[in-house]
Amino acid sequence: MKTATYLKLCGGLTVAWVLALMFVAPFAEFIEQLMLLFLSTNAR
Amino acid sequence: MLKLALQILGIIVLLLAATIVTLKLKNQNADGPSVLFPGGALVSGELHQGAEPDWSFTDDIMTIELQTYEPTSSRRIFIMESGGKVYVPSGYMRSFLGKLWKDWAFDVDAGSKLAVARINGVRYERELVRVRDPAEIAGVAKKLAQKYAGGETPDAVAQIEKSVADGDTWIFEMAPRSGGS
Repeated sequence: MKTATYLKLCGGLTVAWVLALMFVAPFAEFIEQLMLLFLSTNAR
Repeated sequence: MLKLALQILGIIVLLLAATIVTLKLKNQNADGPSVLFPGGALVSGELHQGAEPDWSFTDDIMTIELQTYEPTSSRRIFIMESGGKVYVPSGYMRSFLGKLWKDWAFDVDAGSKLAVARINGVRYERELVRVRDPAEIAGVAKKLAQKYAGGETPDAVAQIEKSVADGDTWIFEMAPRSGGS
């Protein structure tokens, strides 16, 4: 993948991801549950 | 192939960073915490006045919202009643991630003891006092094992007591505020 295409992909994905986290509550909760699972498994 | 792997890794790191920043900013001034990220001051809910409640009602409650000050932040946390008093734990205190995750407990231990607990929509003004007395810890460990570790087995209780003695888990009593304020 060319660098310019890659950067556009990163930008687009980040914007979509942030909007989903901000405005789709079940999605944000699901992601938080995954992070909590990771922390409770690894924070030892 | 290596370039593609690095690009995928870059996207994962980028999304993880975007997630942490977004959720932290989104929640920091909210009326209470989210699942993982701290919230702001607990504003809504009736403020409990009068006599100490019978805290045994918390046996049916898995998590409460606890606000601390300096800095003002709130989080979801376990709660245990033992001997008529009520306690909250903070785990992973000696791990690297724990030190980042549980900064509030370090703040409380350093002297920022005032707290507000919101339980079933009612706010209780409290003062957090770290408990180190083994006899008091024993009762709390039993309740912690009973509620959150699959049962009050001798192994589970001993493991929790060891975790507290080793400093991996800190236990705070949510005591009434001194001076009655």
